[in-house]
Amino acid sequence: MNEVKLDFLKELANIGTGHATTALSQMLSGRLFQLVVPDAQMLPFSQAAEYVGGSEQVVVGIFVVVSGDVKGHMAFLLPLDSALVLLRLLIGDDSGEIDDLARSALQELGNIMITSYLNALSKMTDLLMAPSVPGVAVDMAGAVWESVLAGAQVTNEVTVIRTEFFADGESIEGNIIFLPDDDDFEKIARLLGLEDV
Amino acid sequence: MTEVFVNMGQISSFKTQGILTTVGLGSCIGVTMYDAVAKVGVMGHIFLPKSRAKDSSAPPGKYADTGIPAMIDEAVKLGARKSRLQAKMAGGANLFPNLSANSTSIGQQNIEAVTGHLDKHGIAIIGKDVAGGHGRKMRFFVDSGIVTVTAIGKEAVEI
Repeated sequence: MNEVKLDFLKELANIGTGHATTALSQMLSGRLFQLVVPDAQMLPFSQAAEYVGGSEQVVVGIFVVVSGDVKGHMAFLLPLDSALVLLRLLIGDDSGEIDDLARSALQELGNIMITSYLNALSKMTDLLMAPSVPGVAVDMAGAVWESVLAGAQVTNEVTVIRTEFFADGESIEGNIIFLPDDDDFEKIARLLGLEDV
Repeated sequence: MTEVFVNMGQISSFKTQGILTTVGLGSCIGVTMYDAVAKVGVMGHIFLPKSRAKDSSAPPGKYADTGIPAMIDEAVKLGARKSRLQAKMAGGANLFPNLSANSTSIGQQNIEAVTGHLDKHGIAIIGKDVAGGHGRKMRFFVDSGIVTVTAIGKEAVEI
């Protein structure tokens, strides 16, 4: 993948995460939410787990299948610490554990973020992108990652968009991964006027 | 003792002693092969069941169909005898079960592929901890042939 393609993905991510952040902010009933410049990186797939905090680190992974005019997969990965901060802000859960209620809150949160991200792209391109009900896993980063990559059949490299949110002065780190199927990636690029990516 | 981490798609080996480790097995399969006489141990970290033409430059260890023969070759190169090799496997989990409700999960496909290819080469599977919905860490102690599997928040268990 070349630089143009990476820039293009970064731009998509800026738009998508902008909308996702607004949605998240509304969910947290108006607490000021600030999004820090996303950092996009293209990684060889075998090293991708290191980027999200090391293979053994516990992360929360929210994963959906995207269908419609653009097919693919999308995932939102958060370090456990960040997920716990969000849960405290979202449902006042201070237990430091992820029980069934917390899990469904995270599923809903992922759903809203991913849906608003895809809606933003859909509006720009007039292509339908519909997410499935999200799957949620709380497990070792490596295990979550390879399950995402295998589910999306990614075999070479993967573009990861790291984002950082601030709410009430607390930092929440998240990684958004959009994995459109190859042909459909070109479809989006063409519609947005990029001929050669 | 030297410990080597085996990433997705890789195959690593030791003769006599050393620890082969793979961390964060989800739908992937960690496979070990051991010749107890020659004290040769090989570990693979298999990503998907079947190799594909459009990924022809991939390392053989990435796919079950190319990975199992490549692991055998590696063991034999280090002095193992194919007829003495015994295998253990871990992984093949399905972390997102609601996304594969109407199809066979990748984890399950991987388990079947690895089992099938080992069987085809006449290599017995003498220990396994597969399927389920959680990730695993696998460690292989080549001096003894011991293989342990750990899930988050749990103690290591020998398989």
